[in-house]
Amino acid sequence: MTASVLEAQALRVTVHGRCILDVPRLAVPGGRWTAVVGPNGAGKTTLLKTLAHLLPSAQGRVHLLGRDMNQWGGKARARALAWLGQNEGGAEDLLAQDVVMLGRLPHQSWLGAPGPSDRAAVEDAMRQTQSWDWRERPLGQLSGGERQRVLLARALAVRSQVLLMDEPLANLDAPHQADWLLSVRQLVRDGRTVVSVLHELGMALQADELLVLAHGRVVHHGRTDDAACRQALVDVFEQRIALHQVAGQWVVLPK
Amino acid sequence: MIGRVLAGLALCWWALAACAAGLVDDRGVEVAFDAPPRRIVSLLPSLTETVCALDACDRLVGVDDFSNWPEQVHKLPHVGGLEDANVERIVALRPDVVLLATSARVSGRLENLGLRVVALEPKSMKDVQRVLGKVGQLLGREPQARALWQRLDAGVSDAAAQLPQRAHGKRVYFEVNSGPYAAGESSFIGETLARLGAVNIVPAALGPFPKLNPEFVVRADPQLIMMGDRNAVDLAARPGWDGIDAVRNRRVCVFSAAEGDVLVRPGPRMVEAARIMAACLEKYFP
Amino acid sequence: MTRAGFALVIGLLSAALAVLGLCIGSTGLESLRQMAGDATAMQIVRDIRLPRTLGAWLAGALLGLGGALAQGLFRNPLADPYLLGSASGANLGVSLLLVALGASPGSGGWAARLGTTGAAFVGALLAVAVTLSLARGVQQTLRLLLAGVVVSMVLGATAAMVVLWVPDIMRAMQAFILGTTAFLGWPSVALLGGALLVCLLPAIGLARALDALALGEASALSLGIALPWVRLALVAALALATGAAVAQVGLVAFVGLVAPHLVRGIVKPTHGWLVFLAALMGGALLLAADVLARWLLAPQELPVGGVTALLGGGYLLWLMHRRRL
Repeated sequence: MTASVLEAQALRVTVHGRCILDVPRLAVPGGRWTAVVGPNGAGKTTLLKTLAHLLPSAQGRVHLLGRDMNQWGGKARARALAWLGQNEGGAEDLLAQDVVMLGRLPHQSWLGAPGPSDRAAVEDAMRQTQSWDWRERPLGQLSGGERQRVLLARALAVRSQVLLMDEPLANLDAPHQADWLLSVRQLVRDGRTVVSVLHELGMALQADELLVLAHGRVVHHGRTDDAACRQALVDVFEQRIALHQVAGQWVVLPK
Repeated sequence: MIGRVLAGLALCWWALAACAAGLVDDRGVEVAFDAPPRRIVSLLPSLTETVCALDACDRLVGVDDFSNWPEQVHKLPHVGGLEDANVERIVALRPDVVLLATSARVSGRLENLGLRVVALEPKSMKDVQRVLGKVGQLLGREPQARALWQRLDAGVSDAAAQLPQRAHGKRVYFEVNSGPYAAGESSFIGETLARLGAVNIVPAALGPFPKLNPEFVVRADPQLIMMGDRNAVDLAARPGWDGIDAVRNRRVCVFSAAEGDVLVRPGPRMVEAARIMAACLEKYFP
Repeated sequence: MTRAGFALVIGLLSAALAVLGLCIGSTGLESLRQMAGDATAMQIVRDIRLPRTLGAWLAGALLGLGGALAQGLFRNPLADPYLLGSASGANLGVSLLLVALGASPGSGGWAARLGTTGAAFVGALLAVAVTLSLARGVQQTLRLLLAGVVVSMVLGATAAMVVLWVPDIMRAMQAFILGTTAFLGWPSVALLGGALLVCLLPAIGLARALDALALGEASALSLGIALPWVRLALVAALALATGAAVAQVGLVAFVGLVAPHLVRGIVKPTHGWLVFLAALMGGALLLAADVLARWLLAPQELPVGGVTALLGGGYLLWLMHRRRL
């Protein structure tokens, strides 16, 4: 039983009087890749943000690597946990390499200039996402997929123990989705923890663990190679999908 | 012999002392002068007129854009309006003193550059007397200033005395600008009207230039209306105004821009201002 | 073009404009030529034209810096530094002061000592304070923006009503609103220079945080940025920069908006460079506008705010035409 890197108790998020997230207990196992799935509006992004300590209005306690979130200093937490958000615009005029360099912020002193280790981390991350070739182009001039890869590189450059990603495959074409899968597998082999919200159910079923959410509540949390898990997935989408095994991998098709 | 010499010396000393005495302007600032200034820049039309009325027009080296009386002022360099005086041009003229209004923003800058600044702003008849006295003191012409004031005061009283009996006690409404902004009892125009025996429909309590509700004018029902030609639209077209006594009987005096300048500036032309308004009263109440 | 190269180009341009500024005025080049012999000419060049020219550059630099900070804080490339209400506050402060000055001859006293500059500065700072309290602190940028808009509108309307009530001050208010460098002496230059130094420090210190903010507030938080403190420091720097500039030269439009925008169009800097380059660019822009304002109708002067509005509006029109907003 792997130790959990992220533990949550009594999580509740209320917006305009309506409870959109209610999770009494959650433990994300370390060194594994957990995929979070669920229908639209199930609270997946809210859950991820709460775990990343990005929602000050959330109630409940979150422990990162055994320590209460509130006791982590800002920078220390940023070094331990990296976040990749969904559809966050802006930064049109920054060069791609400057954007990825931002991922090194938690490691740099207040006014310190980037050092050789920072530059190495940036190059490494950009090569991993195949975005090194256009490092000198401003973000605004890149296509959707190219941008997403730069933002992914930014999250990878932090080199944190835990990586939380919300819809990391948005705008990515099939080859680059495959690249992402390889990166995540490598991260897990290195002992890091990855939690990703995914709409691509086929990709989600490649993960080690599956967390199924519906209406702000956890419906199922377990290993993906468990049949109960697959059943829970079908149930949460109201039996409107069918799972088929093709060449050793699970494929999800609408019914 | 020695007595006369001593008396003469004392006289000279007293004269010098009088000249070197400080002048306190309207800001409460004391400005010292060794001798009466020979080069004067004026940034307020009424002050320009005051200087010229005291026969010191030749000492003016620069005036503001709006000073336009007497004629010789037109030939002088114009150094800007009331709010955008050209600091550089003023300094280039090397004045001994700059006369301006108390509310002028440029006074601080000029003082920083080492120029002597005297701020005077006449707004009422009492102010005219006071400003005349101060400018007289500045120019070393106090007796002339006092005599001038006597003449001006008497002139206004004369103009009032020459009005026919019928013209007394009439209700008058003086509009200075569309809005409508009226001249109240406490304004310079209002004071002149009062001395001519007219009754201003705008009481002193409303201030010198209040912005009125047009209903007020209709209710007050003035018998005579005075206004400038820029605002002389068809008064009868204003809602409810065709019922006003002055509008019904067409007792409206419209003043040209030149006449407007005389009426509005509290200065040495106040007798002319009184005569212009008296002429208007006499025209409709002969 | 490299960032350092761009800085050099703008620096040279500013120097050229400064020299031009010394040559232009009501007496033209004469004063320069007669400087050595004539004390008045020397005074004109040294005590009038030189501080005006420097002051115009410094005020422009403050506005450019403010613009870069505002665009970073609100994550909007078209934000301008007056969004927190400082311009309307200055407006109201000046109108109230003018009423106090004219109220009675003797009351000159404290009002005269405070001066238009002091009243404008105090008004600007108070307006930003009201915005902060209306937004209940700096927790949310959107609230801050809305509060700023509300305060601008309400204070602007109040100032307009004051002018309506006491129409005597209308001309003076118009002169203030349209902006002018005519009243800048050496004390003003010292004040502006001091304000620029004080604002540059937090600006450069916050540059990394502003870059992170560009990725989105959640991402910035996740990178360990203490957002509330960053926002507070930004608001304070904005208040000081715009307050100081507006107090000395009046309400100059567009410089704060256009300077950082232009810089971003030509080079793609991170905020560390952007803040510095925007200040340089703002200085050059306002100086250019001032030189134009003094030269076009010499010996008369155009209000510098009118010139910047025309130039700024023209620039935005050109951007729209090229469809690259």
